[in-house]
Amino acid sequence: MVSARHVGRGLMAVTVVALINGSCSSSSAQPPTAGQRITVSLRDFKLSVSPTRVAAGSAVFSVLNDGPEDHEFIVVRSNAAVLPLRADGVTIDEETLEPTKIAALEPGQPGETRQLRVRLSPGHYTVFCNMAGHYLSGMHEDLVVT
Amino acid sequence: MGPRKRTIRPFAAGGRRTIGSILILFTLFSALGLVLSTSATERSQHRAAVLQVAARQRTLAERYVEEVLSARSGLRANPALVADLLNESARALIEGGTAPAVNGDDDETVLSPTDGNVARAQLLQERRLVTDLTETGKAILAHDPVDSVPQTANEKVTVADPVQRLRVLATLSSNVSLNAARTIATRTDQDINDLLRLEIGVGLGSVVASLLLGWALIAATRRQGAHFRSLVRSSTDLVVVIGDGGCRYASESVSSMIGQPDDRLLGDGFMEFVHPDDRASVTSACSTAEPRQIEFLLSAKFGEWRHVEAHVSDLRKDRHLRSVVLNARDITERVRLEKELTHQAFHDALTGLANRALYSDRLNQALARSGRSRDPLAVLIIDLDRFKQVNDSLGHGSGDKLLQQLASRFAAMTRPSDTLARLGGDEFAMLLDGAREPEALAIAQRLLERLLEPVTIEGRNLVLGASIGIALHRGGAATAEELVRQADVAMYVAKRNGGAQVEVFQSTMGHEVGELLHLEHDLRDGLQRGELIVHYQPEIDLDTNELVGLEALVRWESPTRGLVLPDQFIPIAEATGLIIPLGESVLDQACEQTAQWLRDGLITPPFTTWVNLSGKQLSSGGVSDIVRRALERTGLPPECLGLEVTETAIVVEGPAGERALAELDDVHSLGVRIAIDDFGTGFSSLAQLRRFPIDVIKVDRSFIQGMEHDPKSAVITSNLASLAHALGMVAIAEGIETQGQRTACHDLGCDLAQGYLFARPGSVDQVTRLLTERRAEERRTRMRDVANDERVATP
Repeated sequence: MVSARHVGRGLMAVTVVALINGSCSSSSAQPPTAGQRITVSLRDFKLSVSPTRVAAGSAVFSVLNDGPEDHEFIVVRSNAAVLPLRADGVTIDEETLEPTKIAALEPGQPGETRQLRVRLSPGHYTVFCNMAGHYLSGMHEDLVVT
Repeated sequence: MGPRKRTIRPFAAGGRRTIGSILILFTLFSALGLVLSTSATERSQHRAAVLQVAARQRTLAERYVEEVLSARSGLRANPALVADLLNESARALIEGGTAPAVNGDDDETVLSPTDGNVARAQLLQERRLVTDLTETGKAILAHDPVDSVPQTANEKVTVADPVQRLRVLATLSSNVSLNAARTIATRTDQDINDLLRLEIGVGLGSVVASLLLGWALIAATRRQGAHFRSLVRSSTDLVVVIGDGGCRYASESVSSMIGQPDDRLLGDGFMEFVHPDDRASVTSACSTAEPRQIEFLLSAKFGEWRHVEAHVSDLRKDRHLRSVVLNARDITERVRLEKELTHQAFHDALTGLANRALYSDRLNQALARSGRSRDPLAVLIIDLDRFKQVNDSLGHGSGDKLLQQLASRFAAMTRPSDTLARLGGDEFAMLLDGAREPEALAIAQRLLERLLEPVTIEGRNLVLGASIGIALHRGGAATAEELVRQADVAMYVAKRNGGAQVEVFQSTMGHEVGELLHLEHDLRDGLQRGELIVHYQPEIDLDTNELVGLEALVRWESPTRGLVLPDQFIPIAEATGLIIPLGESVLDQACEQTAQWLRDGLITPPFTTWVNLSGKQLSSGGVSDIVRRALERTGLPPECLGLEVTETAIVVEGPAGERALAELDDVHSLGVRIAIDDFGTGFSSLAQLRRFPIDVIKVDRSFIQGMEHDPKSAVITSNLASLAHALGMVAIAEGIETQGQRTACHDLGCDLAQGYLFARPGSVDQVTRLLTERRAEERRTRMRDVANDERVATP
């Protein structure tokens, strides 16, 4: 019995060391294959991203539509402070941005949480909702990938 | 355990409960389906209305932008109106109520309040956006800075250009209203889908319920049908349904009666088995509308005709039948019975001859004919002589056989035109149509001659005579009653004259018959007034010459007729039943008197007073009770009483004979002695004699009176006395009139004797005097004997 308890304590110490090493080396080491988790909340009329600065590589946007309206979620690589508008003056011109478009979630209903898996290279990104007038009402956020 | 209450299950109720419950289930399903359908429809309508209003909001928002722009350009526009419509509709979408009509677009729409969190949140957002939109519009028209308008829906529109800002807000509000509409539509679709699914379930339930209902109805109908089919099939009633093409249905009872399969009876088949004479009436009964009863003959299995009574019901107006229904019963037995009863009503059951009723009918008919044609006719009444004696001694069974044989003998002598009848008992009657006196007399004589030939009954040859009375009718009017009465009177006269003879009624005869009736009447009165008194005839011991007994003999001292002898009134008393009270009265008087003599010391036991008992008294029962009462009442010792019965009274066969034996046994056990009277004249056998408790045999006077001249009588008397002694009985000789007879009787072995030689029957006073004298003489004799003895004894 005594010897077994000693063995158990030894294993626990090894695990704790490994966890500390992981957290310390996250900024420099390769991201885990499962991808980083980026939490997105969509709510009339605010789009929140956390964290807003992530490491390059695989990432998973966990997108919650907090309502009350339907919202979509589009990721484009862009340095521009303001994205170009379509002729209607209320939506972003996605066709122009197509080459830089990384991924998109079609309009979803309130209460849904959807996952969007992406591979992000280092750079400057904008995430936004392109439901008519939503971008102009404030539903966009910047994301920096290093 | 108390009586168990049984539940009655009427045929018609079969399956009713099942059908009822299935019907309720079916109704529930239907109602639920209807509610669900209504609900789905209402939801659809609501959805359509919401979609319409929401879609209109988008148009209104766009129109508002146009109106603001037009107004700002100085064009004629009314943005406030559109703003009101927008706001009002937004409110109505949330809270329900009337969404106002839009000019040139549609009518006002009534909405229900919107439920569901998502849709409600979206509509609230819409209202906020509409407010922001219209407030922005107002700011523009008022040339106020638009960025000072509050953004109540959390939108952070940063566009500086007021018009673009207005357009963004309009877009936002349009979007959210469409979103809300979609949410409501989706939700409603889901609800409706759920309802439809439920409705499909309910529908399936309804289908199952209807199938069950149908099944239960069919089963119930079939069961009920089967019940009634079984009833009709198992019923003994014959059911025939006749339609246009003839017989359409014949129940099993019909085919089994006729002995043909029922398809053989269909169409014209049935009518072939109806008797040809009845076919027309059956056909006509089947073609008249009113219900009626018919009788007809139907050819049955074994070729015989059965009588059938049918009730015809016209059910041609009944759309299920369109036929005439015959409910028939086989009444063959009833018809046979009716015929038999009719025959019985007019015929004598014993002989098969016509009875009194039919005879009267025939006689009346003959008299009616005679009244017209003036043809004569004769009525004969034939009464057998001594028949009662045969009946009493051989029993009723033999009497009946005798009557049957004689009846067939008479019948063989009767012409077809004559009527022979048995009127009752041993009385026959003949009606000779067209006969005058010579023919009637000839027939009567022939009847008497035929009677001389003996009839053999149970090994005995019997010869019976008859008394025949003839009444002649010489044509013209007369009544049957009168003729029969006349023949009766003539017969009575023939009987009175000794029987075995014929008398033709003469008008003088009526008086004689009337006299007899008068006698009966007087006897009845005399009995009540105590005119029937008892005389006594002494009985002598042939050895000692002592008076050992008395025979009580009834006498009628009528104030109008004087002294009437028993021969004259006993037959009447027997015929009328007066013999019973008469016998009881004699017994009472004899017991009373004997007891008195005993008390007076004139007699000493075993001195016996003998009382005659008639056969009728014996067979009517109660004799032992009467005797016991008389003994108790008078205190007479039983050994001082004797009963005399005639031979014919005790040889009766059957229950009456058994009763007589029982009565005599009973009386004998009291100590009362029994004598058999007129022995040797009846038909009694030795065996019968031994069965009865008999102490004394009385040898009939005919033997006693003949013994001096007729050696046979002497032999018989001797034998009878020996027989009596052999059986431990005492023999009494009756009717001794001469000293020669006395000596002969004594020599032949008779113990006691009775007759005019010793004493005639005497009144109570005469007998009392006789007894007193006898007593005194005995005393003198005894004293003399004593004196002699003393003298001998004295030296």
